[in-house]
This record gives sequence, structure tokens and C-alpha cells, in this order.
Amino acid sequence: MKKNGMMVVAGFMGAILFCCSSSYADDLSPFKGEKGTVKVSGGTAHIPVMKEAAKQVMTAHPDIQITIAGGGSGVGIKQVGEGLVDIGNSGRKPTDDEIARYGLKLYQWAIDGVAVVVNPNNPVRALTGSQLIDIFAGKIDNWKAVGGEDRKISLYTRDEASGTREVFWEKGLKKGEVASKANVVVSNGAMKTSIAQDPAGIGYVSVGHIDPTVAAVAVDGVAPTHETVTSGKYPIARGLYSNTKGEPAGLTKKFIEFLYTADGQKIISANGFIPAK
Amino acid sequence: MSGLRERILESGFFLAAVASTAATLLIFGFMLVLGFPLLRSGLFVDLLTGAWAPAAGAYGIFPMVAGTLAISLLSLILAFPVSLGCAGFAAAIGPVWLSRPFRRMVQLMTGIPTVIYGFVGIFLLVPIVRGLHGGGSGLCVFSAALVLAVLISPTMVLFFSDSLDRVPKSYLDAADALGATPSQKLRLVMLPYAKEGILSGLILAFGRAVGDTMVALMIAGNAVQVPESVFDAARALTAHIALVIAADTESLEFKSIFVCGLVLYLFVGLMISGLRLLSALGHRR
Amino acid sequence: MTTMKSADRIIILFSWSGALVLTGALSAILGYVIFKGAGTLDLKLFFGDTAPLDALTLKRQVFDGLFPAILGTLCLVVLSVILAVPLGLATGIYLAEYAGGFAKKVFNLFFDILAGVPSIVVGLFGFALAVFLHRHVSREIGPCLLVSSLALALLVLPYIIRTTQTALEGLPADIRLTALALGATRLQNIRHVLLPRSLSGIMTGVILAVGRCAEDTAVILLTGAVAAAGVPRSLLGHYEALPFYIYYISSQYANPEQLLTGYGAALVLLVICLGLFAVTFVIKRRLSYNALYRA
Repeated sequence: MKKNGMMVVAGFMGAILFCCSSSYADDLSPFKGEKGTVKVSGGTAHIPVMKEAAKQVMTAHPDIQITIAGGGSGVGIKQVGEGLVDIGNSGRKPTDDEIARYGLKLYQWAIDGVAVVVNPNNPVRALTGSQLIDIFAGKIDNWKAVGGEDRKISLYTRDEASGTREVFWEKGLKKGEVASKANVVVSNGAMKTSIAQDPAGIGYVSVGHIDPTVAAVAVDGVAPTHETVTSGKYPIARGLYSNTKGEPAGLTKKFIEFLYTADGQKIISANGFIPAK
Repeated sequence: MSGLRERILESGFFLAAVASTAATLLIFGFMLVLGFPLLRSGLFVDLLTGAWAPAAGAYGIFPMVAGTLAISLLSLILAFPVSLGCAGFAAAIGPVWLSRPFRRMVQLMTGIPTVIYGFVGIFLLVPIVRGLHGGGSGLCVFSAALVLAVLISPTMVLFFSDSLDRVPKSYLDAADALGATPSQKLRLVMLPYAKEGILSGLILAFGRAVGDTMVALMIAGNAVQVPESVFDAARALTAHIALVIAADTESLEFKSIFVCGLVLYLFVGLMISGLRLLSALGHRR
Repeated sequence: MTTMKSADRIIILFSWSGALVLTGALSAILGYVIFKGAGTLDLKLFFGDTAPLDALTLKRQVFDGLFPAILGTLCLVVLSVILAVPLGLATGIYLAEYAGGFAKKVFNLFFDILAGVPSIVVGLFGFALAVFLHRHVSREIGPCLLVSSLALALLVLPYIIRTTQTALEGLPADIRLTALALGATRLQNIRHVLLPRSLSGIMTGVILAVGRCAEDTAVILLTGAVAAAGVPRSLLGHYEALPFYIYYISSQYANPEQLLTGYGAALVLLVICLGLFAVTFVIKRRLSYNALYRA
């Protein structure tokens, strides 16, 4: 319902922008003359996009302050619900219970995949679904069992507030358990650096965060790329949401709308996500 | 007039002391009240001994208690001999032209921020431990304990040297008169006299180790399991609080971190009382 | 005779190796931070792509630079000290000058406990307080600069109380009693004689508190420090801080350049904290100069 409304607004704005041969300043012009603060927190996958968008807005209009915190999807939903922040990001769709309890309005602005990653020095680049489940459950504990070197597998998983973890657990592990000996890291960024530093590590991270320091692993023959995530062939995918408590107003509304503009979409694609209209 | 102003100021001082005490109690109060729902149904023992599986409704903090104890005790075991040696060096064995700057250096070490220990630990120590152990992630009890040992050593060294310095000069003169060497003086006169001071220093350092957050958070791996070997990852109570703060404020999971806070607070209370008792017993002699 | 000799030899070996191990550990830590961080110290580390003058006059914002974090830490420290020093000073004076034996013991017990409470528990208290105020007092309040400063003030309160009390109690009896004997009131004695004389001890406590506030991470982790916020604009807003930046970058650096800024930040924080510490040494030495030459 709200998404339909947003699409109308976005379409309208897109039409206007298209007509006015959009230049850089036009997308930011709604912010002209605005002052105030927008507090953002939540999903760590969203942070690079939030940071870049905030940077563009704040550079053009220095009276605006946008603060960005992480914490995970759980934190984002909880904090926006409590009114501690204006925008709560989540990497999973808030549950009906959460929407009802906090009166949330959802805005999905990207699609993202959750990829299994290993260290670039690790020769293993493909796993079957059941191998994946067994590895994370701790049943397979040496790389040589799946075609790698003779080395104990180091498991990495996310904290409980993580939307990335929720999606991976549901769609990748089919709700299988994660062994208690897994190292817990607190964000997508942290997962990436941990895997990059540990030759025997395996973890999961947002597709948008993948760079040459980690290597993505194909699951059941499907590699996590833009194409496979967009087409739906790669099953472990989720939307990136920005949620507000009730209808957003003023600066908050404009910031969210900015994400749907051409410049916003450019930032989203540049960070490896698939912009969702 | 000025008598009244004086009286007001003096009661102001008293009120300040009361306010400071009230703040101390308020911290305890918040922990108690906010963790209460979990404590009420006699769950406290279950919490202390149960496993952590919030999806299944289990909020036991036992793995974290085990993690804290493992990391802190190991760091104490690693730090104690080194600190005692350093204190002996500073107080007796080291030549004066070395021991003075050495003390200064140790004092300076207490000013190094904790987060820097953690930072260096991640990038310098963890790869080394990983290589040493030939596997594993390097993020484990051992690495955390090693860094923590370096963290708590300066305070221990200063405390120990202080105790060793307090030995009455008459004792030291007597030992000199009998022809004792510095190491004999240390072993036979200073150490026995400073026994209680050393014990107090140990307890304080243990308290510091238990209360540390950043080193455990950054280096111990944060796995929710009872560590079975020093190369297993573990999660400390303090790191647990930092990690679970993310959860929903209404949930029992969130309330369980206040129970963690309560446990830590009570531990400190016990430790301080223990120290008081120790010094009281000492004075009795 | 021989057994004593070997016991002595062991002790000597023990002491020297202890000293060497600790010195080695310190050199490794300092050396690593300086080695990796020294190369990054340039204007870009602090100001990113923004011109320094624009940044310092707050005309333009700084992105990807340490300037907001340094300013955030500065505000935090100033606020916490403003909150903690008056309370701590007054409490210390009370304990040293007015408290009776039993009251002193009880108060000291409480303050020892406060000193021993782990910083994360103080942070948790701060967070709970923020949520409480948010729900019952004003929706504007949440984890923010003000709450962090309050929590940090609580953290360093015991330092100030202890050093004030020790400094006052450490004054020789003749100084403490002379003014009283001449008819001054207790308060006049404190204000005109005791406090000025114990100033260096009290200053040491304040500087230690400043250092503690600058380096603390656990408290601000829970009470309002965030990854990106620009220069702190309001007491009720989120802010950046140097130790938080180091923690954040250590696990979430997006590329090697960002990691290098972490080393740079670590070096800056190290210099700040060790510098403050060195200042306390100087203050203590100047005191002995004064005591020797002006007594």
C-alpha cells in the first residue's frame, strides 16, 4: 500500500526530473533552505549508501546534519519504533508484529543478496546447499572434505540483531543451526575484514559489500551476482528497507525520497546493490 | 550572614557526598529493577548455569561467565610472574639508574588507551597466534588473555612495588647489616612482609581483568560457548552486554543483560569487601 | 650455601626477564602504532577532502577525516569534567575535612565500589537512563552527548574524589592546624590554606580524569557515539569520538587506506593520552620544587 504511494511519488518526481534534463543540483534542491537533523541507524549493509547520500546532501546544504549509526536490523527497527532515531534501516522485512507494534512505514530502495564468502586464498568456490548447512552446523569441520586444503574451518556468523543473519539462516541454512563455536562479528564490514584476514574462514556477507579482498562462493551451482540476484535465480536475497515510525515528515521524508531519485539510485548501484523502484 | 553562608556550603559538601553515593546505588538499582522479571521466578540460578539460546527462550549466561573466568584467570596467570619480577626489579634487583626510568615507563603504560591494546592485538598478535596454533582463527581465549595480561601488568607492577617499598627501613638496614645481597633481601625480608599487599594487588588486577570490555570484544571471538581449550573462541560477560544491547527493549533477551550487569556489579562488591577484610585482618597482626 | 645461591640466581633471572618482557611488550605496541601510523599523519587524515580552514571555522563539513571525532572527544571531555569536578571536589573535601570515622569508612566503601564498576556497566546504566528519560521526561532525549557525558562523569568521579581526599589528608599537620589556631573558620581554612596547597594533587586527579574520558570506549559505545555524525551540534545529538572511530575502523575498514587512517587515529589518541600523563609528572615535580624552595 505505502509502497504504491511511494512509487507514484517517485514516478512523478522521475517525470519532473526527466523533463528538466536533470543535473546534479536538481535532485538535491528539495533540501534547499532546510535545517535540522536526521538520525539514522540500523542495518550495516545500508551504511555505505547512507554515508554517501548524507555526504552529498550535507555538502550541498551544510545546515543539515545527518547522523548514521550501525547496530544491525534489529537495532534499527527497535530504535525507530521507540523514537530514538528518525530512520531505522533493516536488511530484512520487519515482521507484521513489529509493524503493528511500532506503526512502521516501510520503504524498500534496493535488492541485495547474501553471499557465502571465503578467503581469496581458499580454492573452494562452490558448495552444495547441504554442504553449506553441514559446515555451519559444525558437522563438516575441515576444508578438505569439500575440496579444499587440509585445514580446520573457521566459522564466522553475525550477532542476533542482524537482518543479514536472519535472511541467511532462513534461506541459506534452511533454518538449520549455527554451531556455537562460530566467531560472532557485528556488521557486514566486520565480516568482510574477518574473512579477508583468516585463510580458513567462511562467513556470509551482503553482496554489495563484496570486493577483491573476499571471494564469493556459488551455492548449488548459482553464483551470487547482480544478474542472478535480480532474476531471482540466487535464492538468498532480501530487500534493503528504510523504516520510519508513521508517515515521515520534513527532512526525513526528503532524505528517503532522495534515495529514489536518479542520484540516489546511482549511489545504490555504485555500492553493489540493485536499486528497487 | 557569613556563618549562615558557611553552614550552607558545608551542608553542600555533605550533600555532594550523598549524591555521589546515591549515584553508585542508582547504578545497582537500575540493574536490579530492569533485570527483575528474569530474577523473579527463581530463575537466577538457571540464568547463571544455563546455556544461551534466545530463539529457544533460554537466557542462561553461563557460557559468558565461563568465558570471563577463562580469559581473566589466564591473563592473571600470565601477568603475575612477569609483574612480580618487574616489581622485584624496580624495588630491589635493578640498579638505581635503571629502576627509576623503568618505574616511569610502567607508570606511563597505565595511560595507554585500552582500545589501542585491542587494535594492536587484532593486527599484530592474532595472525601470530593463528600461525602458532596452525589453524583456527586466532580469535580466542589465549590471544585475549595475552593482551589483557599486558594491559593489567602495569597496575600490578606499580601496586607490588608500592607494597615492597613500604617495608620499614629498619628491616632493610638489619638485612644489610647481616650482609644480605639484594636478592636475599628481596626473598627473605621484602616479599614476606609485602605478602598482603601482593594479594590485594592480585585481587584488584583480577577485578580489572573481569571488568575489561574492549579487549575481550575485539579479540576473543565472541562465540557463545563454554571454551574447552585456550584456543577456542569465547565471549565475556562485558562483551556480551555490548553485543546484546541491540535487542528489543521489551524482550527478555534484553533484560538478561541487566542480569549480566548485576552479576558484574555484585562481583565488584564482593571483591572490594574481600579486600577490606584482608586489610583488616592484616592490621590485626 | 649452594642452594641459597641458586635461589638468588633464579630471583635475579626472574626479575630481569620480567622487566625485559614488559619492556618488550611496550616497545612492540608503541612501535607498531608509531610505525604504521606515522606515515599517515597529514592534513588529509584530519580533514579529508575539505580545506582545513573551512573545516576549522565550521564553514564546511569534513567527511572521511578525524576532525569531527577529535572535536567530539573534546566536547565529551569538557562536559564530563564540568559535571564531575565540582561534585568530586566537594565530596573529597567533605571526606577529608568533615566526615567522622564511621561515615568516612562507609562513604569510602561506596566510592571504592564505584571505582571498581566495569565501564560497560556504567555505559549500560547510561543507556537505561537515556531510555527512561526518553519515555518519561521528553521524547527529545535519547542516547546523546549529554547522556554520555553524564555516564563518563560517573566513571571518573571516584578518581577525583580519591585524589582530592588524599591530597587534603596528605598535608602536614602544622599546615592544617595553623590557620584554625589563629581563629579562622573551617571553611576559611579550606578555602585559603588547604585547597591552594593541595592544588597539584587535585590537578593530577583532574588530568587523570580527562585522560580517562578521552580514551574510554565502552561507555560511549552504548550511549550515543556513532559511525558518522560530523561535528557535534547539540547536546541531544549523536556524535563521533576518537576511540570509537578506532574500534569501528578496526573491524569495518572498507579498504587499506581506511585501515591506515585507523593507525593514524590510534597514534593521535596515544599522543593525547600519553601527553596528558606526562603533564601530571611535570605537575608533581613542580610541586616538589615549590615545597623545597618556598617552604
